[in-house]
Amino acid sequence: MNKETAIILELDNLVKYYGSGDNLVRAVDHTSLQIERGKFTAIVGRSGSGKSTLLHLIGGLDRPDEGRVLIEGKDIFSLKGDRLAQFRRKKIGFIFQDYNLIPALNVWENVVLPLGLDNRKVNRQEVEQILKKIGIEDKKSAMPNVLSGGQKQRTAIARALVTKPAIILADEPTGNLDSQTELEVISLLKKCVQDFGQTLVMITHDETIAQMADRIIAIEDGRAVN
Amino acid sequence: MTMTTTVALENMKYHKSKNILTGIAILLTTFLLLVIPTVGYGIIEAQNAAVNKTYPTWHVLFREVDKDTVEKLAAHHDIEVWGLRSDAGMMYLEDADVSMISVDEKGAELYRIELISGNLPEQEDEIVVSEGILEALGQQGTIGSRITVPYQIIRDGSLDYVQEREFRICGFLGDNETAIAQQTFVALVSEDFIISEVTEEKITYRFLFQVNDTGQFTTDGMEDVIKRIAEQFGIPQNMININQDYLGANYVDPAVIPAIAAIMLVVVLASILTIYSIYYVSMNQRIPEFGRLKAMGATKRQIRQIVLREGLWVAAGAIPVGLLLGTAVSKALLIKTTDFAMEENEFLQVLQEVVKTGEAPLYRWQIYLLTIAVTLCSVYLSLVKLMNMAARVSEVEAMRFHDSGTKGRNKRKGYEYLTVGRLAIRNLSGNKKKSGITVFSMAVTGVLLMVVSTVISCANPRESTNSSIVGQYEISPVIDNYNKEHPERKWTNIQQDNPLDETLRTQMESLHGVVRVDAFTKVYVTGEVFEEYQGISGIPEEYAGEIENGIIEGSVTYEELKSGDKMIVESTLLHWYPELEVGSTLNVTVYDGLRTYEKEFEIAAIGDYRNGLTNYNYLIMAKEAADRLCENNSTGYFHVIANEDYDPELERALKELVGSSGRLEMNTWKAEYEMWKTTMALISGACYAFLGILAVISVMNLINTMINSVHMRKKELGVIQAIGMSDRQLAKMLQMEGLFYTFSTLAVAIGLGSLLGYPLFLYAKNTGMFEVSTYHYPWAAALIISVTLLLVQVGLALGIAKSVKKDPLIERIRFND
Repeated sequence: MNKETAIILELDNLVKYYGSGDNLVRAVDHTSLQIERGKFTAIVGRSGSGKSTLLHLIGGLDRPDEGRVLIEGKDIFSLKGDRLAQFRRKKIGFIFQDYNLIPALNVWENVVLPLGLDNRKVNRQEVEQILKKIGIEDKKSAMPNVLSGGQKQRTAIARALVTKPAIILADEPTGNLDSQTELEVISLLKKCVQDFGQTLVMITHDETIAQMADRIIAIEDGRAVN
Repeated sequence: MTMTTTVALENMKYHKSKNILTGIAILLTTFLLLVIPTVGYGIIEAQNAAVNKTYPTWHVLFREVDKDTVEKLAAHHDIEVWGLRSDAGMMYLEDADVSMISVDEKGAELYRIELISGNLPEQEDEIVVSEGILEALGQQGTIGSRITVPYQIIRDGSLDYVQEREFRICGFLGDNETAIAQQTFVALVSEDFIISEVTEEKITYRFLFQVNDTGQFTTDGMEDVIKRIAEQFGIPQNMININQDYLGANYVDPAVIPAIAAIMLVVVLASILTIYSIYYVSMNQRIPEFGRLKAMGATKRQIRQIVLREGLWVAAGAIPVGLLLGTAVSKALLIKTTDFAMEENEFLQVLQEVVKTGEAPLYRWQIYLLTIAVTLCSVYLSLVKLMNMAARVSEVEAMRFHDSGTKGRNKRKGYEYLTVGRLAIRNLSGNKKKSGITVFSMAVTGVLLMVVSTVISCANPRESTNSSIVGQYEISPVIDNYNKEHPERKWTNIQQDNPLDETLRTQMESLHGVVRVDAFTKVYVTGEVFEEYQGISGIPEEYAGEIENGIIEGSVTYEELKSGDKMIVESTLLHWYPELEVGSTLNVTVYDGLRTYEKEFEIAAIGDYRNGLTNYNYLIMAKEAADRLCENNSTGYFHVIANEDYDPELERALKELVGSSGRLEMNTWKAEYEMWKTTMALISGACYAFLGILAVISVMNLINTMINSVHMRKKELGVIQAIGMSDRQLAKMLQMEGLFYTFSTLAVAIGLGSLLGYPLFLYAKNTGMFEVSTYHYPWAAALIISVTLLLVQVGLALGIAKSVKKDPLIERIRFND
């Protein structure tokens, strides 16, 4: 594998400021970095260091003031509107801190939702396999309001894995979980990423979790210091 | 300001968009509640003012009263003011008709006869005329001048031959515009003049009077007094003429108030539903808010107060605007309504004048007070349940609320895979009660619209016209039974030399565009049960089917009617003669030219027929049987059946034929149609305007539901977009959710509306409302409701999808109530 194909994500001089004058917040300040395919990268930093903003820019949820985000060599901000949405659902999987499951849908439906949005056929066996691996195969019909925090996050992980995206972005996925569950979920996530050969970029402020990653990038005042 | 007021005020500002919608609904409610009674009473008041300006002020008039009875009546304690009028005769001048009457001073007052100069006539040869009369006579003169007048005196109830006499002008009357336009005038002569013509014994009076109204407030009450007086003096029913318009203008008609109250009740119900539904829909979203307040120590009472005061703050803003708008529109609407009538009619002109000058008080503080009170009550009633709901929210429930979108369900069998459509279904079924309330409250207005439209669509001007006239042209002889100068207009004389003969019929049938001419026979009879002449309508065989189908009681075939011994009684006649029964015998005197004879008929059936067919002659026979009753030509009508409803060429040709005879008159389908069209346009315009505003109120509901459902799910929709839903898919999903509301509303509104419309149609038919005869499904209304709702919904969904896109995705994901 040459270096070109090994790099799945490239940030090129990314800038995002909020406010102005005295209130200017340099959330992301001229950050450039590259992330390799199949690796587990942890982005660490204190609260307010700009790590979440960085993740949102990578996921195309927010637009940068300057710079580019290249996923598999494609500048995602060159895509407009629905093209970006289509790119995102094919290439990016999201895992949020507060799970963000759709309350009207049961576990199975929440998981297969991204496939439906992409008009893809549901391969029942494959989905079952993911659920089994994640450990919620017996919760398929359950509604989100009866799930525990860990179960909710597992559902969210399954949802991120199901489209086999190029990259999975996780924003403090264990922030709302107790320490026991936290470890379980992270181990599970890491294992899945390995088994399915996917790339994971995770934000965390927890050093222990960061240590489980292949690579750690520290963010301070909007800049990658490592 | 107390804590509850402050919180309520802040809440109102915070939930601005929802409160603007509620505000509009309250505003429109206030508007309708003000406009309906204001315009309703305004029209009545303006009419009353106009009536009081133009109509005679007597309450009732007894005809053909002799001198003796006049003296006795004058002493009656229930009669407050009385006057006398006697009809002397007529001047039929070349271009004008002048009635010659005699009135005493009180009579003149009760008739509003005011001389512009001179005095009422006292001497036998004195006369009061007007400039118009002099002009028509082709003479000139001032007070004291002598003029020659050709006149026909009324003798024994008929007009005698023309004679001439010289009169001395003793006074002048003014001419109003109607009199000039129609060339009909009134001249006053003295009682002595009449006595000199018909002798004192034969003079009869019209006794006009006002009833002593102490303790009487309603028209019904006044009429009871009048009937009692008439009974005491043996005055028959047909000799009583009650001045209904004047009574109506000065006493309350008990039927008006319930009608206005019923319309207002509909408005109140529709607005309660809408306001309730708007608050209900947004209440879900606000449960945590009330929970937090409770957690901080707010009592149930305080929470109730917060909800109520927020509603009242909105009402306080909306009501004054509604009142202002209503005030402005009421006056404009009233002017528009009276402008509709453009005819040269003195009463309508006075009515317009009264409205424009504001002579009749349009705005009443009582109505304003009532509007405010009723609107506030609607707001309160809409809020009562929600106040209790908010007060019952528990702290824990409120805190947990965020994740409980499908509260109460733990598991559900899901779809194997999801599409945008299925996602929409899931969202809707997530809160069935909310969806149900919205659909129901919107459908109520739709049901009302459909029901009213059913009646309006059944009241089709074309059908009402077809019901009131047979064929396209109706030709009949000019009949005037009481005019010696024109003996040829007397029916018995017409029978002997009837212009409706075979020659004319052949001439008409040969005209281009005429299919055929149907001749209807008319025979007059009197009988032991009838007080006055009744007409027998001899209907040709072409209408045999219609006659047989119209029978509602008893049975008889057209063939059997041909025997000549049987007849059908039209049900209308039963109003006056309820004793007429199927199977009973009717002994009558038949009038045929110069001869009369007795004849016995069997009432074979009772039927219900259109007025066009009977020409208001309520005894029905087969034409050939009716013809046999007379040796003379008793044809009463030619009904011309033409290819087209309106053919100007044919109308002109027929007019020529009718005109050349000089003894015929013609009524046309087109004229009847225009009359019905104008009437129906007025009625349906008013109905639809009212329902239209109701519809706007309930569209507020749809807007609120849609905006709220998106606002509440802002974060959820953001997440779905983050995981790959495109803007197009989002728009499609919102569109589908909106379509669900639209189609459910349409299904209920049109389904239920159609079902309920039919009984109302039957009611309208049975009571003869707008001559409704055939049921018509209100397709147009159904289509308009459907298209409007669809357009509003599609536009709304597009607008909402657009406004959602305005916020960056990340803002939406971060959004937290």
